[in-house]
Amino acid sequence: MLAKKVDRMEKIEKVEKIDALYNFFLTRSLLRKYKENGKKIIASLCNNVPEEIIHSMGAVPVRLLGLAKSTELASAKIPTWLCLYSKRLMEDGLRREFDFLDGIVGMTSDDTKTHLFSAYSFYLKPGFSYLIQIPYVRDKSSIEFFEKELKRFVEKFESFFNTEFSEEKLGESIEIYNRFRDLLNDLSRLRWEDEPKVSGEEWLKILLASTSMLKEELIEHLEDILEKVNDSEGYKDYKLRIHLSGTDFYDVEIVKMIEDLGGIVVSDDLCTSSGYYIGNVGGRTLRDLARRYLTQSACVLTARLEHLSIEDRLNFIMERIGESRANAIVLLKDRGCEICGHQCPFILQEFTDIPTLVLDLDTPYPTEQLKTRVEAFVESYG
Amino acid sequence: MMELQEWNPLGYKNLYRDLFKKHLARQDSLLKQGRPVGWFFSFHPSEIIYIFDVVPAYPEQYSAYCAARGSSVDLIDASISKGYGHFLCDYFKTTVGMIEEPEKATKPLMPKPDFIVDTRALCVAHHEMTEVFARKYGIPKYTINYPFWTSDALGYVDELTKIPEMVEELYIEYSISKLKGLLEFMEKVTKIPLSDEKFKSVFETSEKTSKLLIEVAKLMMSKPTPGSQREIADLVFLAFFVLGSNYALEFAEKGYEMIKGRVKRKEGVVPEEKFRLLTFGIMPWHSLSLYEYCEMLGATFPVNLYVNASLHLCDSKKPFESMVRRSMHFTNSTYDLMDGVIENARKADLDGALLLENTGCRITSMIIRPLADTLQEELGLPSLILEAPQCDPRIMPLERAKTQVEAFIESLK
Repeated sequence: MLAKKVDRMEKIEKVEKIDALYNFFLTRSLLRKYKENGKKIIASLCNNVPEEIIHSMGAVPVRLLGLAKSTELASAKIPTWLCLYSKRLMEDGLRREFDFLDGIVGMTSDDTKTHLFSAYSFYLKPGFSYLIQIPYVRDKSSIEFFEKELKRFVEKFESFFNTEFSEEKLGESIEIYNRFRDLLNDLSRLRWEDEPKVSGEEWLKILLASTSMLKEELIEHLEDILEKVNDSEGYKDYKLRIHLSGTDFYDVEIVKMIEDLGGIVVSDDLCTSSGYYIGNVGGRTLRDLARRYLTQSACVLTARLEHLSIEDRLNFIMERIGESRANAIVLLKDRGCEICGHQCPFILQEFTDIPTLVLDLDTPYPTEQLKTRVEAFVESYG
Repeated sequence: MMELQEWNPLGYKNLYRDLFKKHLARQDSLLKQGRPVGWFFSFHPSEIIYIFDVVPAYPEQYSAYCAARGSSVDLIDASISKGYGHFLCDYFKTTVGMIEEPEKATKPLMPKPDFIVDTRALCVAHHEMTEVFARKYGIPKYTINYPFWTSDALGYVDELTKIPEMVEELYIEYSISKLKGLLEFMEKVTKIPLSDEKFKSVFETSEKTSKLLIEVAKLMMSKPTPGSQREIADLVFLAFFVLGSNYALEFAEKGYEMIKGRVKRKEGVVPEEKFRLLTFGIMPWHSLSLYEYCEMLGATFPVNLYVNASLHLCDSKKPFESMVRRSMHFTNSTYDLMDGVIENARKADLDGALLLENTGCRITSMIIRPLADTLQEELGLPSLILEAPQCDPRIMPLERAKTQVEAFIESLK
């Protein structure tokens, strides 16, 4: 009885801790505080922007995500049929919600992100802006090029902010980021248990918090959460272990809805989650960083020589499902997402032995319809 | 109802007919010889087709053909029913439709590819769609991704020649290394070694043709506008796909003489030119008569930025650099790199712009509003933006578009 009470207390503490972290994402309060303390805040427009570089030069990297529920201002500047990620980001920018930013860094990872960088720069004129050119092939010459491209980025950053880059500091930042990744790996393993100790909702909240604060600060919280979670009881009352597939998805409400209806999200391949943190940097130099970001991430568009990136993505999903023992897939198909639009049929073809539910997403969410579909899916396969 | 004038096009129709006839005859002959088929996309280095004697097929051009013949709607629906996204490039959806449900597609179908060349000189969508096609057919693919040009890497670029004032060496070097890799890939898939002589001669042809096409674009800016966009819009076929061919050169030589004569005689596409408009966006291939209609209302189009983007001055002495310069168009650049476009628009003495937002094409659609804003700020030009997917007439019914155009023209008076 006493043990159960202690466990419940730990669960409550865990939830409160995670909610407090998530609040940093919702309010952007820490970012404003950093700014007040004289730090430069640099937004990244893609999960493959090597944040370690920005961090090593004393600035705060933030993966920019918009929170607007409606996007009327953005609709006047960019097409209404684009993905939710781009519309919300543009909307928050136009509403001056990002007034704390000192610059943006984009990447040529897809058309939307490339042109979002252009549109953001054109309309909102951030102080500093740089677009990192990412090769789509992972051969030797492309890795060499990518290293030089990262050097070029460093030089532009140094010159604009009158700061200095050092390999030593980069090494320190890489260590911090690798520690952050290790902790998430540890936490992730607890999701794979028969009774997962972290829900999908909690997991996503932690990941979103990580986009809005310095990693060294987050690490302390993660260590604490890990301790609490390790000692707590897991979730038993679920019917289906779900792998969540998608791209720049970050709507906690949808994950909560899936879990309220009997699913538990045990793994994913989202750009905002697995695609963001998986893969440590195997060294302390720019070259090591170039190799990591080109070869180890879940980037959906770069491929090994003589291979297709879709094959790499399918393997990535397979690995995640293998680890987590997910027995169903929920595919979050943002109607405006070009990656989802091109790759969704291949994912469906590849995983015919696993029940898969495709949710077409566009705002405003037809919540009741989505609920009905998820409920029927969980009932059928749970 | 506005009064319609007599329409007097340049007469390129016969030239195009001759060009396509020769192009198709070459295809047939090479197919009979068992030469490999490659699929290529706009802004690729089209000279390689003639250097390596391959049979080219162009999903973009084929899809435009299906749109003009009325089969693209069924093909787009077929693609969506297979799970591909609604808001993807019409060219992609139409081509997937052709692969999945060939019975619904306009004949002749594109020949099945033996290899595919993936170039990102315009959009990542080319890269994304080549992945799909390569996987469907199980064929080798070669990828080049040129930079997306930013103002810290590229200085002022002449809009027609694509000659830049300044360019980042790192990007040129990497692109050239990838282009050299492409030649090795072509040797492998075509099983013939690169002939230096042929390489030189194809690029010399390309240079001559490219010069003439640029002259045609310049002459189009004369007063009155000498030609119609119904015929000028198709110049992209020459510039994108067959630049290194002898038949493109023949076309360019004759086409240049025809437009030069017109300009000399001060003869316009309509007797009374009332307004001069700039246009941009991929042409709505299902409804090209919209341009004819505008022209008959007295609104002519001396500048087509889509056609201009397809042009570049090929320098046969610097073939690799020329291939990279092909990517230096304003649609592959950040929106602060529009100076060249504005300069030409100023020279053309314009009254407004008709801009087409191609649903599913992130490139043309995302640049439209910044372009409209820049034209307004720099030149005081108003724009009409029409949502017009290039292969799907359901989103832009012609009659509705005509009404919108009429209202816009009225507002210019």
